[in-house]
Amino acid sequence: MEFSHYAPLWGEALLTILAVLIVLLGSLMKNSGKLMGYLSAAGLVAALGLVASNLTAKPALFFFDTISVDALSQFFKAVFLMVSLLVVIASLSKYTGKGADEYFALLLFATVGMMVVSSSVDIVTLFVGFELASLATYALAAFDRSKKNLEAAVKYFIFGSVASAFMLFGFSLLYGMAGSTKLADIAAASLANFGPATLVALLFVIVGFGFKMALVPFHMWAPDTYEGAPPLVSALLAAGSKKMGFAAAFRVILIALVALRMEWYLAFAILAALTMTLGNLAACWQNNVRRILAYSSIAQAGYIAIGFVVVGAAYGAAPVNVLNLGPLRADQLGIAGALLLILGHALMKTGAFIGTALVASNVAKGSESDPDDISNYAGLAKRAPITAFCMLIFMFALAGIPPTAGFVGKFVLFSSAIYSGLVWLAVLAILNSALSLVYYLRIISYMYLKESTGPKMVEQKGYVVALVLALIGVVGIGVFPEQFINWALQAAAVLLPQ
Amino acid sequence: MISNAISLLIAIPLLGAVISFFAGAKAKFVALIASLIPLALSLQMYMEFDKTSKIMQFVESYDWVPSIGVKYTLGVDGIGFPLVLLSTIVTVLVIIYSWGETKKPNQYFALLLLNEVGVLGVFTALDFFLFYIFWEIVLIPMYFLIGAWGGPRKDYAAIKFFIYTHVASLVMLLAIFALYFTYQMPDGSRTFDMLTLLAATADKTIFPTSLLNIIFAGLLLGFLVKMPAFPFHTWLPDAHVEAPTAGSVVLAALLLKMGGYGLFRVILPMLPSVDKAFVTIIAIIAVISIIYGAFMALAQKDIKKLVAYSSVSHMGFVMLGAVAFTWMSVTGAMFQQFSHGIITCVLFMSAGTIQHTVGTRVIADLGGLADRMPKFAVLMMAGFMASLGLPGMSGFVAEFMVLTGSFATLPVYTMIVVLLSIATTAAYHLWAMQKAMFGPILKKYMEVRDPHSYELFSMAMIIVLSLLFGLQPGLMTDMMGTAATQLMEPVMTLTQMGVI
Repeated sequence: MEFSHYAPLWGEALLTILAVLIVLLGSLMKNSGKLMGYLSAAGLVAALGLVASNLTAKPALFFFDTISVDALSQFFKAVFLMVSLLVVIASLSKYTGKGADEYFALLLFATVGMMVVSSSVDIVTLFVGFELASLATYALAAFDRSKKNLEAAVKYFIFGSVASAFMLFGFSLLYGMAGSTKLADIAAASLANFGPATLVALLFVIVGFGFKMALVPFHMWAPDTYEGAPPLVSALLAAGSKKMGFAAAFRVILIALVALRMEWYLAFAILAALTMTLGNLAACWQNNVRRILAYSSIAQAGYIAIGFVVVGAAYGAAPVNVLNLGPLRADQLGIAGALLLILGHALMKTGAFIGTALVASNVAKGSESDPDDISNYAGLAKRAPITAFCMLIFMFALAGIPPTAGFVGKFVLFSSAIYSGLVWLAVLAILNSALSLVYYLRIISYMYLKESTGPKMVEQKGYVVALVLALIGVVGIGVFPEQFINWALQAAAVLLPQ
Repeated sequence: MISNAISLLIAIPLLGAVISFFAGAKAKFVALIASLIPLALSLQMYMEFDKTSKIMQFVESYDWVPSIGVKYTLGVDGIGFPLVLLSTIVTVLVIIYSWGETKKPNQYFALLLLNEVGVLGVFTALDFFLFYIFWEIVLIPMYFLIGAWGGPRKDYAAIKFFIYTHVASLVMLLAIFALYFTYQMPDGSRTFDMLTLLAATADKTIFPTSLLNIIFAGLLLGFLVKMPAFPFHTWLPDAHVEAPTAGSVVLAALLLKMGGYGLFRVILPMLPSVDKAFVTIIAIIAVISIIYGAFMALAQKDIKKLVAYSSVSHMGFVMLGAVAFTWMSVTGAMFQQFSHGIITCVLFMSAGTIQHTVGTRVIADLGGLADRMPKFAVLMMAGFMASLGLPGMSGFVAEFMVLTGSFATLPVYTMIVVLLSIATTAAYHLWAMQKAMFGPILKKYMEVRDPHSYELFSMAMIIVLSLLFGLQPGLMTDMMGTAATQLMEPVMTLTQMGVI
């Protein structure tokens, strides 16, 4: 076995070594926070480069067929690496002093965990990756050690553990049924021995993933956690670790449990409709910007879940001329749409949370008022013009207004719903997009129309660079969607082979 | 022949908007230049425009997102080009009128230019996708113009404007998607091309009437709200009353025309293929809008609200002429769009000037202003006369054509309009004019003087244009007539469509 055989996994290896190195160096060197930050950023850039050089990898299996490198895993890895990179760049302006080494090390471990999940084709490997990412983010959620952080972290930890327990119990049933932990074996077994145990396993798996993806009614933890955690960590949670839930759910539900699609089809139809509607409605009544973003990210999870419904409705359907992409299967289009929305949402949400982090960092320390209250955004256009402008575009993108990444994802996804005969779901989703504009517009009108109440804000370099990079991504995908649509289709083909 | 003329037309104000935004106090000069170039360019295009040609002119077409069939296609014909001219003219005049704006002038002028970008895009886009993007872009500058420079209830008015028209556009978007997903080109691919899709709606095997009715209703709602037509007009008075003068002017002169443009570009080509009841529905809405708008105007205390309701009334003529579907009425309706676009500017400018020279717009508190502001009074009087349809001005020609043309196919509706609206329209114009401008001067207004020359200049230019097009309507109606002939081609009249 040669070293170069593992070339597709060098990114994970690099980040793991770097994370350990940062912990070691951090304990030896004092005040090395800045250096650690730059090291992490460099490591993430390198890993992103490695993934980018191999975007549409031919499927290859490693480690006794438990890890697969394919177009889908590369897609998710690229998303996670981008999110982590943006968060690290923004963190360069915040975490510079004592403890910064731990922060960056945890962030890298979380990223490695997410990358492992996106490559796993074995439920045990998947669970290990999941826990690696989760444990690291539990610690990150409490990182600033304020009372609010601790509350958020405890809530996140408890719900996360319960979700893991559900998931693990579901996995154990699958293992019992199939006698193997490999997704391919489980798929074959669930087709052969369909029975009550499989159904129970499916139920547990859906509940477990439902928590991770924050689908209504398993969403309660998300607003509290996203509001209470340090703002930059919220960015990682909403844009990164939540998407990890989708990465895992795609593999487990669409590959291993595809035999049960008639069962989960209905479940996901209800979950998707509930999640987008309730998420959007709840967001209208919030006054805390991070809570608004949290509910908006719940609503987005609802849209993304349409991908499952489309697969359930149109699995293996004969190819038709879809859009102008040539003969294509509606189910592949659905997954491609979900992937595009995941990519777009990761960028927009990271950007939006980084924006809130910048505002919060400018609100006087120790002031009684809530730093994320919408009143702090009054006149932001004057007080922090770059941040306000980026936030403006992110809000429009989240609402799905063209030409932004948000529109591209929604367009492809909702089209696939129409092609698979789910017109009601597509119409509901479009109406929901209209509804969502109400609360995005509220933030915009605070930023641009309200008279400013405070002094000019300091727009720290790290935050600004991260914001602008996210902005370029969001607009770039929106204006030149062609490449991204093709890429997402290739990734979707991994889940739904001919 | 200038290549890519329309793209230039759109790009220059966009660039101007960006530069103005960073130009600080010099923004107005940037804005003036950035609006004069498109004006010159559009006049040049007018010279080159072939008024007898039935095909799209100045067409540009590039692939944009081939995988979903989106193209960057622009072009103008007799429907769109007069409105392009209207947009470039009005934008220049409104920028001149706003020369004295001191509150955040850089943003103010940038938004006016951005607005021009949006409306020019709407009037020239020939791809539904592109059309929708421009349609939505227009919302943004107007939202900010009302929200940041507006009156006391600006927050409410801005959000009401945005939500109302955005919801209507979403319904329209659903209808566009329905067109898009139903029609497949012969090679199996999809397209957003407007002309292709609209031509396809005539094919009953692709678009059964039941489906087309729903699509048609969705598109119609999007346009009626924008026009606005009764009962979807309620956002308009609020938006107008709170908007700054320049905002009101572009709102009435350009944004409402987007709805009317939609009627001609999208609704009329589909009209022969949908349920015949739609003709009656649109005609009834048109008649109610005309009469209701006129009577509401009569009842207003605020002169700006009066003008706002007069817009509802005048836009009703556009609807009536369009749906009557004779050559004369359709040409007249297109001309009414253009004519109302210029005349309404002077009305809103009058209301704005009264507001900031006298300090109130309540008609009952005004009186005798003509004594102190003679030049202004002449221009305002001329504007009001144009608006009520004085022969010799463009409004008369347009409304005359609409009524004459409509009488042939919709005689009852036309008679109702003639009986109930002509006198009312004259009444509210004359009554407001007389009460506000004439009579004995009130003591508290002794110090009032004529407004700045730039305000008077803008108003005077509009009067000149209204006279020009009133005496020489052929300058515009020639190309509109060609477009109307083109629209009539598939089915000649309502009689042949089986409506009457």
